[in-house]
Amino acid sequence: MKPNVHAPNVNSSNTHTDSGFEAKILRLVKGARDRSAIKSGEVDAILDPASGRAILLPDAQAALLERKARFRSLVELASDGTWEQDEHYRFVSHSGTAIGSEWTGDAGILGKTLWDLAFDNSSEIDWQTHRTQLEWRAIFRDLEFRCIDRAGRLCIISLSGEPIYDRQGQFKGYRGITRDITARRQAETAAPESDRFARATLDALATQVCVLDAAGTIITVNTAWRVFAASQRGIGADVSEGSNYLAACDQIVGNERVDASAMAAGIRQVIAGERELFRYEHFCDAPSGPRWFMASVTRLHGDAAARAIVSYEDITDIKHAEQLQGLECTVARCLADADNTSAALKAVIRAVCETQQWDCGQYFCLDHAADVLSLNESWGRPVAGVKQLMEKSHGAVFRPDAGLAGRVYQSGQPLWILNGSKGTRASQTALAHETGMDGAFVFPVIAEDKTIGVLAFASHAVREPDDRLLQAVQSIGHQLGQFLQRRLAEDTLRRSEARLRRLTELSSDWVWELDSHFRFTKIIGTGMAGIGDILGKTLWELPTIVLSDDEWVKHKSELAAQWSFCDFEYAAVLPDGQNGYYCISGEPVYDAAGAFTGFHGTGLDITQRKRAEIALRASEARWRDMAGPSSD
Amino acid sequence: MRRKKKSDKSAASAITPALVMRLYVVNSAPNSLLAIANLAAICKEFLKDNFKLEIVDVLEQPLRALADGILVTPSLAKLSPSPAANIVGNLSDKSGVMRALGISGYAP
Repeated sequence: MKPNVHAPNVNSSNTHTDSGFEAKILRLVKGARDRSAIKSGEVDAILDPASGRAILLPDAQAALLERKARFRSLVELASDGTWEQDEHYRFVSHSGTAIGSEWTGDAGILGKTLWDLAFDNSSEIDWQTHRTQLEWRAIFRDLEFRCIDRAGRLCIISLSGEPIYDRQGQFKGYRGITRDITARRQAETAAPESDRFARATLDALATQVCVLDAAGTIITVNTAWRVFAASQRGIGADVSEGSNYLAACDQIVGNERVDASAMAAGIRQVIAGERELFRYEHFCDAPSGPRWFMASVTRLHGDAAARAIVSYEDITDIKHAEQLQGLECTVARCLADADNTSAALKAVIRAVCETQQWDCGQYFCLDHAADVLSLNESWGRPVAGVKQLMEKSHGAVFRPDAGLAGRVYQSGQPLWILNGSKGTRASQTALAHETGMDGAFVFPVIAEDKTIGVLAFASHAVREPDDRLLQAVQSIGHQLGQFLQRRLAEDTLRRSEARLRRLTELSSDWVWELDSHFRFTKIIGTGMAGIGDILGKTLWELPTIVLSDDEWVKHKSELAAQWSFCDFEYAAVLPDGQNGYYCISGEPVYDAAGAFTGFHGTGLDITQRKRAEIALRASEARWRDMAGPSSD
Repeated sequence: MRRKKKSDKSAASAITPALVMRLYVVNSAPNSLLAIANLAAICKEFLKDNFKLEIVDVLEQPLRALADGILVTPSLAKLSPSPAANIVGNLSDKSGVMRALGISGYAP
């Protein structure tokens, strides 16, 4: 290719512009190889030994011009303006729209330093820092300045600059670019605002929440999740942003394996769109105590990355309330089904222990005669420590004003000592004496507003009782108290009845009962022996009874009138042909509704007395007969 | 503008002396860019790291080029090992360049 050696028409210090360009080139290049290279178009520049300059050939010159234009274009694309400062940092040139009076609100910036301009976000300290940068000839990037333009709008300008040196290395000033970043900053400010709102909302939730992508990777979690993960353990509790929740569930072993598998399956179904909601209740044996959670997995729409939201709601309080409600029902059922007081106490203590995960329980009641609280009944888990404690407690008594049980008995208020407790309502010493365990819970058994005993539970798992537990033990204490009081009354009545029966047996020979038709339904005792089978018959239906018609009429009328009668005497022919004499007393019986149901009463064999009376009367009669004639 | 490429002290370089070159160019001019590319390809293919190359922009350092006897660019000067050589043009004649640099003696 023949070289184009005409004079380039460019404004460059390194280019040659006179009309003798071709001749000069030919004069400069004399070597054959150089000429050949020029002729073949492989040369960019020729060095002029006279001037010490490089003379660009037209193609090279055009390429450089093109490069310069391209660079300028890129600068314009990357910035909104360019500027230059002199060695005193005064603006000497600027171009573009983002610099000058449009954003400074000033007539112009030429001849002014940056700190002469009206920026509202730079303090004197900031300017000192910037001046130090300049004095150190440092390159500065993205200095941001805020100002109000002529239209009253906020403008945010970013300046970047680098020092300029001449060929001798002398500092000549700074040059750089300017960018109007108002829109970008406003957008950035707006975006974090919405993010902050979403973040604050998420963090304000008491429920633990995490957001998963399609692969099950956790995109974000809220504060409640982080707190829980830091203090608890459970399904996925130790996973955080960036980790895969499904993988964490799959890796769980032990007791929580089943729950974790169920959760993972539910999450996968939600992510796959097979269901919108998955809920799963599970138990977690956390270090702070047993906890229950209701896990919910919901499908997330409208977000490319996030697919599902996993939330854990702590339902421990609800579960406790349900348990305590169930316990109250169980206690009521135990008391209703129990055959005796001992069985009832044991059943109640066991129910409380099993529900509250306590190791053992004891019921102390006041022995009025000895004025001490003595162990009445107990139940404990079949483990070594508990057995030892139960054996130790057997036969133990406490004064009503001493010890944990005594204090509860006197105050009528529950007391508890927690495991390794500090702030408790009873001393550790008192507890150790009675239970030998770390924690205890003692509450009164109350009947008719009076404490009749105390229930003491000991365990290594006693924790601060909440209001619901206190409410439950109060209810249980009252239920049990009423039961015991009722049982006590029943026992008293039973003993009284037995005593009365015995007295009746001592004062009569038999007890009888009649139905509403005056037929015998019950005979207890032996006084009626000799008069045959009488059950189902009325007295006047008995063939051996000897009684006058008038007396029968009188007796029947008394029965019909439902009158009580006393010492009604009659005779009956005994198998030996002699008469036996009997005396009965009775009273009408009514049922709960007031309806007449018959008579009941007692009977007495008065044969001996009557025979003696008869004999005495006969003797008196004989004596009267004998004395009669003489007295006449 | 100056760019230097230093070779590593490999076992090969310990046996064969490194080729020291200097390329005079006008930065961004088409033939200069072509010369740099051609020379880079030759060095990569045949010299591995066993060379030292300095690139001199004559617009920035014209006097240095004149002092080295360079009148046109691009020009490649072989400085060592002897004999010295000077190649003018965009180095598109690969065999000629290799011959001038004595690269045939450098087995790749």
